[in-house]
Amino acid sequence: MLKALGYFVELLRGIWITTRHFVVNMWFHTLNLFGIKTKRKGAVTIQYPEQKKDLAARHRSLHRLMKREDGKPRCVACMLCVTVCPSECIVIEATEDPDPEIQKYPSTFVIDLNRCCFCGFCVEACPEDAIRMDTAKIDLAQTSHDALIFGLDKLLK
Amino acid sequence: MAKIFLDGKPVEVAEGTTVFKAAQQAGIAIPHFCYHPAFVPEGSCRLCLVEIEGSPKLELSCSTVVREGMKVSTQSPTVREARRGVLEFILAEHPLDCPICDKAGECKLQDYYQDYGLTESVFREFKEKREKKVRIGDKLILDRERCVLCTRCVRFLAEITKTHELGLFERGIHAEIGGYENEPVRNGYSGNLVDLCPVGAITDTDFRFKTRPWFLTKGESICPLCSRGCNIYIDYHPGFPRVPGSAKVYRIRPRTNDAVNGPWICDHGRYGFIDLQQKNRCQTLVWNKGERTAEWSWDKVLITIGERVKALRENGKTNRISLILTTWLTNEELFLIKKIFKDGLGVRNVFFADPAPGPEDGFLLRSERTPNRRGAREMGFDLKAPDLNALVPDTDILFIFGPHFAGISHDGAWKPALEKIPVKILVTSHLNELASTADFVLPAAFLAEKNGTLTNADGRVQKIAAIARACFDIRPESQILLDLAREIRLDDSYFGALSAPEAVHHELVKEIPFFGALP
Amino acid sequence: MTDLGIVLIKIVLALVWFLVITLYLTWAERKESAVLQDRIGANRAKIFGLRLFGLFQPFADAIKMIFKEDFVPAFSRKFLHTLAPFLSFFFVAITISAIPFGDDIRVAGKTISLQIFDADIGLLFVLAMLSLGIYGIILSGWASNNRFALLGSVRGAAQLISYEVALGLSLVGLIMVYPSLRLSEIVRAQGGLLFGFLPAWGVFLQPVGFVLFLFAAMAETKRVPFDLPEGESEIIGFFAEYGGLKWGMFMMTDFMEILIVSTLLTTLFFGGWQVPGLAEGGFHFPWGGTWHLAPWLVAVFQVAAFNIKVFFFCWFQILIRWTYPRLRYDQLMDLGWKWLVPLGLLNILGTAIVMSL
Repeated sequence: MLKALGYFVELLRGIWITTRHFVVNMWFHTLNLFGIKTKRKGAVTIQYPEQKKDLAARHRSLHRLMKREDGKPRCVACMLCVTVCPSECIVIEATEDPDPEIQKYPSTFVIDLNRCCFCGFCVEACPEDAIRMDTAKIDLAQTSHDALIFGLDKLLK
Repeated sequence: MAKIFLDGKPVEVAEGTTVFKAAQQAGIAIPHFCYHPAFVPEGSCRLCLVEIEGSPKLELSCSTVVREGMKVSTQSPTVREARRGVLEFILAEHPLDCPICDKAGECKLQDYYQDYGLTESVFREFKEKREKKVRIGDKLILDRERCVLCTRCVRFLAEITKTHELGLFERGIHAEIGGYENEPVRNGYSGNLVDLCPVGAITDTDFRFKTRPWFLTKGESICPLCSRGCNIYIDYHPGFPRVPGSAKVYRIRPRTNDAVNGPWICDHGRYGFIDLQQKNRCQTLVWNKGERTAEWSWDKVLITIGERVKALRENGKTNRISLILTTWLTNEELFLIKKIFKDGLGVRNVFFADPAPGPEDGFLLRSERTPNRRGAREMGFDLKAPDLNALVPDTDILFIFGPHFAGISHDGAWKPALEKIPVKILVTSHLNELASTADFVLPAAFLAEKNGTLTNADGRVQKIAAIARACFDIRPESQILLDLAREIRLDDSYFGALSAPEAVHHELVKEIPFFGALP
Repeated sequence: MTDLGIVLIKIVLALVWFLVITLYLTWAERKESAVLQDRIGANRAKIFGLRLFGLFQPFADAIKMIFKEDFVPAFSRKFLHTLAPFLSFFFVAITISAIPFGDDIRVAGKTISLQIFDADIGLLFVLAMLSLGIYGIILSGWASNNRFALLGSVRGAAQLISYEVALGLSLVGLIMVYPSLRLSEIVRAQGGLLFGFLPAWGVFLQPVGFVLFLFAAMAETKRVPFDLPEGESEIIGFFAEYGGLKWGMFMMTDFMEILIVSTLLTTLFFGGWQVPGLAEGGFHFPWGGTWHLAPWLVAVFQVAAFNIKVFFFCWFQILIRWTYPRLRYDQLMDLGWKWLVPLGLLNILGTAIVMSL
């Protein structure tokens, strides 16, 4: 009997919490509607496509490849990112560079975003700071798998 | 025998052994660059220093011969300090381009740095700038910055090939490896320089920048390009998912076997194998009769062939089956052919179409350019070349194994002759003009993709192991033959029990004990 | 002839009222749940750039459901499968005919009751029709030929029948107090004051009955905390094999049940269209004095009061739905048979004793 009473008390407490939220939020919604107290919102929602939350400074977004001063990719095709990549989404084919000081550059550098898990290991592994994930592009959805396979041209942009 | 103490451990070695070899026998690794078991010790790298009791200085283990009762310490603080110093000197001049160095991952300098060095560089000056890309041979590129001047390459060319293309020029900090009058290294064994080089100074255009060594899996195998049967490692990349064709064999390295090839292999095998493994492979199963070209399933093709053979067998005309074989086939496959066709069906027309013999070079490369002629002979095959005149009128079904048949007549006379044979079946790992003539083309596995044994010219039976994953329709010949035997319903109790090449080998040894001597 | 016309007009008006409110209950449910969870809720549907807090959302939903494929699984019993949602819908929708919206009004010398038909067994009619709704559930589960759907419908049948008992018992006390089954009379009996200050509403005469009825009626709507027949997170429920508009009808039935339960709560326990102090001629204050109002204004006040009470209970039910987690099946049965039914019997006993004193 006491136990049942306990349940009943908890039921009342529950309804009190939800009612309080409803009333308080409604109150501020109404005030905001008339332009009063607009700093205190009735909801925590961010209306995504119109409003965007600031990305954290270290947020890992779409990859990009860095360039040298002359526009060539900074990447030397050491394949450390390929080695460390846990989802095996990077494919590099290396080619001999005419400049003996550079020696090696990627003739193909493909990141398959279908597989990529955005762990950022490639960025950490890179000895040349050639790959970064700081483009702040996060809306990457596409309608085909092929559109998500990023080659040198897209990554160097 | 002399008794010495290595790090306090008593070791018995033969008189005249060097400390280095004694340590090796005792399982103690001593770091080294210039020492190589095939050469006279040089002692230029100063890494194999050990402390010997009674000796005022550290001694070079590679050139110090053991004395009775010698007390050697390979890991004492003095020794480690000395090695660390040597490494620091080497690293003072060595570029830190490991990310683009092909040797990274299997580089001795990297290993020793991990073991001994890990020091901050105290060297404040700029590193000496040298040439990064010197072409010293058809497929060889020398990077003088990375060179640690161990002179292994120079000594290889002086002592093994005796061609003396490379030498050590200049002195002190200007010392460098180079050719006389810039003559390129051009001999049949130049690829070994890449394996010899302890760092990434000499690289090979075939492998250069293609992949990184840590992606590769190595498999032990036998070089199929001549009857020497050199022992090799096949370095295979298992490939990236979703990238077709990324799984492939990247390079061949010698596997030391003093009874056959020592630590070397020839360029013919080294580069030829890669070409054979990758180029012109037969990859699709084809039922091909004139215009009607369609891809069939293995089951359908084998049933169809089996029915043709069965029809001949019911009429007692199995002697109208002819075979053209090749000695690229392993012992097991030859044995299965013998059991099925010679013993089972009574086929008499058996020919061998092998590539033409090439020049011998007096060291490793032999004139027989297939790996298993000795095996075929021991099996009881008569290695006669195909005789079209004898063959064509007596043949209803012709089995051709291997791609070399088209090479035997240069005038193309075989083509109209083959047209007269009703059923031609080609089992091949590589494509050639025959494929368009044959009724069935069955893609077969190449060496890196199948298990079995090969017999070299000296009668050594050596194992090959499947390392690479065969793509598409490819099946090993042993499997094709066994499936065919089951299709023909030829002694089910015998062939039904054989499944893997290992089981076939067991049967082979029971019948011909010669093949039992696996090393 | 004019009588028939009046009845037709009443039917049309009542149905329009009923369906529009039901439609907007879906919007209210989304918005209310959003507000009490600090969200905004559906606000994207717009016409000519006009969003209006997502008020067009129900239309968007309706268009979506209408244009979805009318899918009937190949393995189902097709006729019964189609019949089930209509049965559910019908038996709930017909209940509205017995609800009084206001006092009788006089138009052009005719007395018109704001009720489609005023049966003397009105309360029994309502209970009977609500019970018949079970057929829709059982039929849908059976006709779907899907074991999960059947499981859902069997659970649903067990639950609804159990709570039917509690529902009936909770009202017996009320019937004893207002000795009538005629809903209009029950409402009329709730006019006036109790002890001079309390409105003579059912909730004050039958507080235990009210609580029991509230629980039982909410169980009848088969929404969360009592959504065992549906069980979104496990068996999907009796409408697992439904899609498009047929599924929409089941959903509408749910919301209509909320509305019906609200009207019943209002009618039986909260004085229906009665406003305390408002009677013929205007407001009569308990301390004496009268505020005269025209008869039509009185009718408007009454209908408005009825609506406000109904909306409050709709709001309250949605609040409950978004506050409590679901009961386990055994807890559900315990609550029904071990608490509500005995308490209902005790309530009858208590009422009888009090009345006989």
